[in-house]
Amino acid sequence: MPGVWVLGENKNQSLELLSAGRPMADRMGVHLTSLVLGGREEAGDHIAGGADEALVLPPLAEDQSLDALILVLVQEAREVDPDLFLIASTYRLREVAARVASLLKTGLCSETLKINFTENYRSVEMERLLYGGAAVERVVCLTRPVMATVPPGTYEQAPIDPAREGQTREMKETPRSPCKVLERRARERRTRDIREARVVVCVGRGMEKKEDITLARELADVLGGEIAGTRPVTEELHWLPEDLCIGLSGIQIRPDLYVGLGVSGQIQHVTGFRDAKIICAVNRDANAPIFGVADMGIVGDLYDVVPKLIGALKK
Amino acid sequence: MPELVVCFKWVIDEAYIRRTSAGGLDFSSVDYKISEYDRNAIEAAVCLRDACGGSVTAVTVAPPEASKGVKDALSRGPDRAIFVSDAIFKDLDSSQTAAILGEVLRGKATFDLILCGEGSGDAYAQQVGPRLAELLSIPCASYVQKLRIEGGQVIAERKAGDFTEVLAIPMPALVTVLPDIASPRIPGVKDTLMASKKPVETIGQSELGEMPEARLKTVEVRASRMERECEIFTPEAADVARFVGALQKKGVLK
Repeated sequence: MPGVWVLGENKNQSLELLSAGRPMADRMGVHLTSLVLGGREEAGDHIAGGADEALVLPPLAEDQSLDALILVLVQEAREVDPDLFLIASTYRLREVAARVASLLKTGLCSETLKINFTENYRSVEMERLLYGGAAVERVVCLTRPVMATVPPGTYEQAPIDPAREGQTREMKETPRSPCKVLERRARERRTRDIREARVVVCVGRGMEKKEDITLARELADVLGGEIAGTRPVTEELHWLPEDLCIGLSGIQIRPDLYVGLGVSGQIQHVTGFRDAKIICAVNRDANAPIFGVADMGIVGDLYDVVPKLIGALKK
Repeated sequence: MPELVVCFKWVIDEAYIRRTSAGGLDFSSVDYKISEYDRNAIEAAVCLRDACGGSVTAVTVAPPEASKGVKDALSRGPDRAIFVSDAIFKDLDSSQTAAILGEVLRGKATFDLILCGEGSGDAYAQQVGPRLAELLSIPCASYVQKLRIEGGQVIAERKAGDFTEVLAIPMPALVTVLPDIASPRIPGVKDTLMASKKPVETIGQSELGEMPEARLKTVEVRASRMERECEIFTPEAADVARFVGALQKKGVLK
């Protein structure tokens, strides 16, 4: 029985993938199956969100992580032979997806931003970014199943229809992985989720020292926003927590206003805020690439410009 | 003492890619570099060796032009390199790169731990590491931020979204590492000189089995579009005021 499969790490991610998978399944004339990590009690929500079948994955022992499910998924995929398998692009599921694809000897499109049919509906075509976001690539998968990881937030969640009916099936296998979880630690969150901020003031390497971040903070306060950083400022210098790293390999944001202070505009960073409504930048270097992607820019020393900006904004 | 392998990719430096007026990509003036994420992976492998002993072998799959990259990698501390090189090793998809690496490592190298960067700077598919682990039938942990070897096991802290998982992994194993695992060194003149003396084993396609087939086919690559107004202001007080006025007009101020 072919079909479209979706797998999210939580219900919200599954609902997003269900809304991506539903039209594909309809057009192919196949069932839409949601693989449920949250146990049997969650199955109904997946069906209400558009799944024809909720396939409840077996529970994991306390010392097991999601990689324990790889062989279970592969075995089921070999039996069912799905056409398309969409997986939420989270840290752990990206690894699971690549390893499942390897065992199924098939292709996997990572960080897929669009899924469509080619002309004549012959095959599935996917879009993703290349070269840090400088280019868009369209790919097709030459083998079955077509697999794709999709970043959370790419699709809206599917509407819930409590009256929808579907089948629920529970998998019984007891999965084991040789990797043992010794400990799970909540990651220290010193900040609000930056994705929710209306205005983001972003600190780049043009900032001379850690203490000067207060300048960015003041500007953010006046604008009613939050501060974030580029990869060097967060992951390398640790001036700001890595949860605030904006970019392709960090967090992608869509604020109303992005203000880059001393940000050069490396493409991987720009990809993290390319959908912001308005992009502004302050940089000494008139040739900095950031000015090529900004709506408005001030060419000048941020230590001179930012206090003036704060003053003008307060008026 | 652990035998460590670190995989790296020689990639186009995207800073030199130009956009043509027709929306295509102009690669005519590009330069190449070791993928950023892999520089950190190399440093992590070298630090692990310095702490535990053993040795580090750096491996790459690339066309012959990448020999510069092999030397660059060796100047960053590994003991030797395996350069899997053939003119046809261009634009490989992740499954092909993993298959070639798998074949080489199965036959040519003993290893206790393989390190890869989280993804490559060009395609960032983040697949080669996990696929390679599966091909070698060894356990794998991705997005590792801290790493040590203890009692024949790898103890790895990996990012799992809102939390961190600390894993005990029996060796041999593979980990993919996040950039904060280690900051890459800047090789000095002495490092570069020493690098030329380190052994490099070059393996061509003819010494391997059949060329693995691609699973993904690229239909099109086009420049991504970001069309913005790019209005430039000076730092003069009057201009800054005009800047704030413009923000007001755009409706993005409170």
